[in-house]
Amino acid sequence: MSRIYLQKRGIFFLMIAVLLLLLPWAMPAKAENFDRNKYIYDFAHLLTDNEAAELQNIASELGKERETAFIILTVSGTDGKDIVQYVEDFYDDNAPGYDQPHGNTAILAIDMQERDIYLAGFKKAEQYLSDGRLDQIRDNITPDLSDGHYFQAFSAFITASHEYMGNEPNDGSGSDGYSDYGPGGSSVGYNGYDSGADQENIFFQWWFQLIASFIVAGVVVAIMAYRSGGRVTVNAGTYMNSDQSRVLNKYDNFVRQTVTRQRKPSNNTHSGGGGGITGGGHSHSGSRGKF
Amino acid sequence: MILHYKCPSCGSDMSFDPDSGELSCLSCGRHENIENYPEELRSVRFSEDEANEYHCENCGAVLITEAETAATNCSFCGAGVVIADRLSGTLAPAKVIPFMISKEEATKAFQKWCRKGLLTPKGFMNADRIKSLTGMYVPFWLFDLNSKVQVNATCTKVRTYTQGDYIYTETKYFDAFRDINLDYVKIPVDASEKMNDKLMDRLEPYPYDQLKDFKTPYLAGYIAEKYNYTDEELLPRAKDKISGYIDSYIRSTLTGYHSVNYTNKQIDTINKNSDYVLLPVWMVSYDYNNSDYTFAMNGETGKIVGKPPISTSKVAMWFSGIAAGTFLALKCVSYMMGGGFW
Repeated sequence: MSRIYLQKRGIFFLMIAVLLLLLPWAMPAKAENFDRNKYIYDFAHLLTDNEAAELQNIASELGKERETAFIILTVSGTDGKDIVQYVEDFYDDNAPGYDQPHGNTAILAIDMQERDIYLAGFKKAEQYLSDGRLDQIRDNITPDLSDGHYFQAFSAFITASHEYMGNEPNDGSGSDGYSDYGPGGSSVGYNGYDSGADQENIFFQWWFQLIASFIVAGVVVAIMAYRSGGRVTVNAGTYMNSDQSRVLNKYDNFVRQTVTRQRKPSNNTHSGGGGGITGGGHSHSGSRGKF
Repeated sequence: MILHYKCPSCGSDMSFDPDSGELSCLSCGRHENIENYPEELRSVRFSEDEANEYHCENCGAVLITEAETAATNCSFCGAGVVIADRLSGTLAPAKVIPFMISKEEATKAFQKWCRKGLLTPKGFMNADRIKSLTGMYVPFWLFDLNSKVQVNATCTKVRTYTQGDYIYTETKYFDAFRDINLDYVKIPVDASEKMNDKLMDRLEPYPYDQLKDFKTPYLAGYIAEKYNYTDEELLPRAKDKISGYIDSYIRSTLTGYHSVNYTNKQIDTINKNSDYVLLPVWMVSYDYNNSDYTFAMNGETGKIVGKPPISTSKVAMWFSGIAAGTFLALKCVSYMMGGGFW
């Protein structure tokens, strides 16, 4: 009995070992039966079952509106792969997508070992979730991730991506719904420099526009009131006798010179990466960082 | 001594006519050229115990004047009289700019100006409540100032370039020196105590091509005052008026630098010449909502200054209009920049 049991256990372990060994190779085959309607892959077990189920609901509901698969991928270690590579392989191998293999997909991947985070957008999500927008989403959810609030961070990723995908790629509205992702200060301070036109550019905020117009109106009316009493119309040239007025003598002596040097600011210490092309030839946008 | 101009043909009162620039008689239309008029006020000396009471040459009534009044109209017969005592000796003006704008033109110009006011209340815009319109020769000093300026400044030129991994900022320091001679001529400073300095400053400029040698007939029919302040007393104000001009001139000679730090700045301004002149100003007294408003009009150019009443409802209207317009424009700009309309 026990021998058979041990034998069974041995076979069981062997099978698992073989399976684990074959896993990388088995992936393409697995793509066939990859469940495209499952959006939460919590390999690192960061979420409770309830949370995972709720995220799955949010992802499928919001994904339907944008025809995009919002995928959350958590792992503990990536077999020595870079997280970008890991995400690219995940896309190549599993062919996720909303309605077709290798379809519209936005992936949030975190690796607990390296504490890496990578956001990627494929197909429609690549256009709508540009590197700049992904950077911004990442900036907003990183504090939550650092504090271990994974559920909040993941749901914020899904809702923010959903929100961004509702706006033309380079035509985001000055939306007001973003204040809940991260502290308001950071989102206001964010300049949409590298992302072209950014939603959170202060210039696009309605309250900024309102204040600016009040200031302009106030200044204009004040000038009007001030000038209603007549203004000075003489200037320096009015009374100057230009025949007699001139520089009689001058010199400009070079005295000394100082040179200071400063190291070039490295590009974005925390993030980088951006998009790329997967081994399978799928181009994508991306944003990576640490948490 | 009172000067009064009687028409040689009909004996009626004559007064200065801005349209022709001559002394004219309203009754018979006779015109007399003023520029050839004999003028000997400058040399004439009147006794120190100058009379406090003047009698109108025309009707004999007592002339009620203030101490500064140099020309006025007889309050009984309306004849324009000039009090020569107050325009002679040191009080003799060197030059005068005669009125170029007649009373009718001044009234029309003022009414037009009132209508133009963007913030003035509707009731004010009719300009139908002009209480009085007085042509007045205001005493001014015209200063010719010479400024000798010597400045030392430490100036820098900054250049940045990148080489390898570093950004280099190169700052070159220069010791700059400028010796400048500046001449400002005919800077007008009003010498009347009554007149608001700010108001008078805004009336400038008075084009000087109409500056004429002073002759008393120019004052006939107008009010004139003698100066309250001497040129010495007003020199600081004249210097003050040009100090901004001098500073901007100095700055304009130090071009090509990123920063200019004055280490030494010596401005020595002397009064080369000062002339006592009378300049024409129409004073408009206006009654609106039971309060008086005073406006001044340059009698040569027609420029009007003075604080008109301001209507709160119009201010609110403009404010909201501009705010709404700007808001819309900003929305459009942000839309075009890719920010969406809402």
